This record gives sequence, C-alpha cells and structure tokens, in this order.
Amino acid sequence: MMPYYKFDYFSFDFSLVVAFVIGIGFGFALERGGFGNARILAAQFYFYNMRVLKVMFTAIVTAMLGVFYLSWIGWLDMSLIYLTDTYILPQIIGGLLLGIGFVIGGYCPGTSVVSASTGRYDGMVYLLGIFFGIFVFGEIFPLIENFYNSTPMGKVTLPQFLGLSHGLVVFLVVMMALGAFAAAEWSEKVMTKKLGREKE
Amino acid sequence: MKCPIEKLSISKRLAIFAALMGILALFIGNPVNKNKITVNAKELALTAIGNQDEISVMELAEWLIEGRADFTLVDLRDEKSFNEYSIPASVNIPIENLLDSDLMRNEKIILYGEDDIASAQAWFILKSANYKSVYILKGGLNEWKEKILYPKLAENASSEEKAEFEKIKQISLHFGGVPQIVSGTTTSNVIQNVQTSPAPKITPPPASNLKSAPKKKREGC
Repeated sequence: MMPYYKFDYFSFDFSLVVAFVIGIGFGFALERGGFGNARILAAQFYFYNMRVLKVMFTAIVTAMLGVFYLSWIGWLDMSLIYLTDTYILPQIIGGLLLGIGFVIGGYCPGTSVVSASTGRYDGMVYLLGIFFGIFVFGEIFPLIENFYNSTPMGKVTLPQFLGLSHGLVVFLVVMMALGAFAAAEWSEKVMTKKLGREKE
Repeated sequence: MKCPIEKLSISKRLAIFAALMGILALFIGNPVNKNKITVNAKELALTAIGNQDEISVMELAEWLIEGRADFTLVDLRDEKSFNEYSIPASVNIPIENLLDSDLMRNEKIILYGEDDIASAQAWFILKSANYKSVYILKGGLNEWKEKILYPKLAENASSEEKAEFEKIKQISLHFGGVPQIVSGTTTSNVIQNVQTSPAPKITPPPASNLKSAPKKKREGC
C-alpha cells in the first residue's frame, strides 16, 4: 500500500533520501520542460507561449489520474495523502503576490532554483530575493499572524467542497485541461501573429 | 490503409487517452468509501489479547508532566462534558467523527471516555481503519479522577503505601487535584486550605511545563 512513508516502509532518514531523488527528478523535468528560462515562463502571461499552462495541466492530469486509479485498485490510501489546510483569503492574497512576482521576475520559487542551478544570474538573484522575502515574512509575522490564520476552511478537497463524486471532478478537470490545451494552441497562433504585426 | 490513430501526433493520442480515463472515472465515481472498512478479525483479536494497547492513568500523568508530545490524547465524550472537564492537552473528537478527524494513521493516539467502553469501541474503529498505534486510557476519566485528581489514602496505611502516596500527591497537585486521607467514614483533604471548601473545585494545572495540544508534524511544501 502507498504512501510508503506513512505505512512505515522506510524510516524518516531514508525518506529524506527519497525526497532528494524525487527533487532532482522534479528539477530535471522542469529544466527539460524549458522552465529554467525566464523568457518562456513570462511569455505565459502575454499568451504567446503557453508552455507553462500545457506542462502544468499535463502534470495535474497525469498525477490526478494516477492517484485516482491507484486508489481505485487499492494500491494507494488516498486518506493518507497530506493536505494543507485552506485559509481562503490569506491564500488568495498570497497567490496574487506570487503571481505578481512571477510576472516581474519571470520565475516561481521552484523554477528559480532550476534556473540558478543551470548557472543563470537572474535565477540566482531571484533566489536571494526569495530568502530575503522569507526573512521579512518571519520578521513581520507577529503583525500579520491574525490575518494569516483567518478564514480557515480546514482540509478541504474539491469533491467535498462541491459535493460531487471524485470521478466527476476527475472528468471535469480532464475536460478542462483538454479545453485549455486547445485554447492554448489557438491563442499562441493568434498572439504570435498579433505581436509580430505590432513589431513591424 | 492506415489506422486513423496512427495519423495523430503523440500529444493528440495522449489527449485521447486522458479523455478516456476521465470518462471511465466518471462511471467509477468514488474510488473508496472511507466509512466502509475491511477488518482482519484475527489480527485485531491477537492485538487485543495481551492488553498491550492499554495505558494506565499514572503513566499518562507522568508523560504529561514530562511534557511529552509524541502522542495525541483524544477525548471521545461529547462537547459539553469536554468543556466541563478534560485531561490537559486532550482534543475532543466525538466517536462518530473519528474517521473524519485530522488524526494521522501513523501517530500515537490515546483514547479516553468516561470509562473503558467508548474507548474500546473507538479503538476497534480506528484499528480496523488501519490506524497504527491506538491506545486506551485504562479506566477512562473515572479512573483519572479517582487515582489522579482525588487520590485517597487510608489513615492506617503502611509506611510503604504512605511513601507511594507522597509521589501520587505531587502528581495530583500538579493537575489541580485534591489528595485525601480517609479515616473511618470521614475523609479529610491533605492540603489544609482546601479543607474548608466542601466540594473541591478542579483548577487547571499550571501551564509551565505542560505543552498544549501535541504539535503536528509539519509536512508539505
């Protein structure tokens, strides 16, 4: 039965080794996906290169189908998967902050590490910025603690929240992803053409 | 003649595969019903046989004083009784909400109710739902009150018993209890100033070396 760590198939120490290997794999996949390049990442927000959306949705659909079918055939105990608590308002603000930083800097936290490790200076500067941001957050945390813990919703999943079956949500997300892929292909064509015209 | 699938690019083929899996998921609905559990009766019976799943109130009291936080203490009674009195550092999870709670399958869980019955039932539910280490506080809250909050010593007790009682008294006082000495039919409180009040009020223990709710292990990114 998965998850292996929760079922005590390996110790905490060994779990760190596993995490390291998975982390390297994750970074490698990001780099190969082109996510070490700030131009490709930022292009997402101008709709002429939709690679981020495609890679992300592919990852989501792959993982979601994997989790769903593994638990269906009984190899995975879905209730053991760790979920972060939802605090809707602070998380929306946090998401917006991350998004703004993403457009300005061209990276999200994970991709900045990938970029820095491939030797890009902008990635390294971005990484320093992350640590500075963590430091500032830590320093002002007492002031924002109330807000940080406001609007708690507990551990909530889409099927619970919407009152739908897991399968229906899986179906809807797959359809949404396929729709997004089609829209992405289309918008890439349109926007490249449009931007091309504007340059002239 | 070529099969129509072969004309498609690899990404289109994958898209079709994902769509089919999505449609199949629609018919499967919920992959697991967490309220439905399968039980290995033999295994459960073997675990229950040695009483290894019991923890005495004295052990628990000592752990709490030491400030150990490697377990979650669960109060199975209803909210009203929980608010009236509960063992320090316990969380209130009524028995019907056990499987919906935040309890992790790999954490150490100690259950208590008014007596042993509710905890034994809850123990069975949790064990069958694959919770790894579930323990019962032996005697429940009744025993906790009797042994920890209002420990009694007969006046004609032997010196060994008296020495033992000294230790219990310290533990009892830590939890705001009232140790008593029984002589014949009357009982007298050990501590003089409490003696005046007929119904001793339970005050919460000093927060000093008692950690509040056990801290959850941080996970995630």
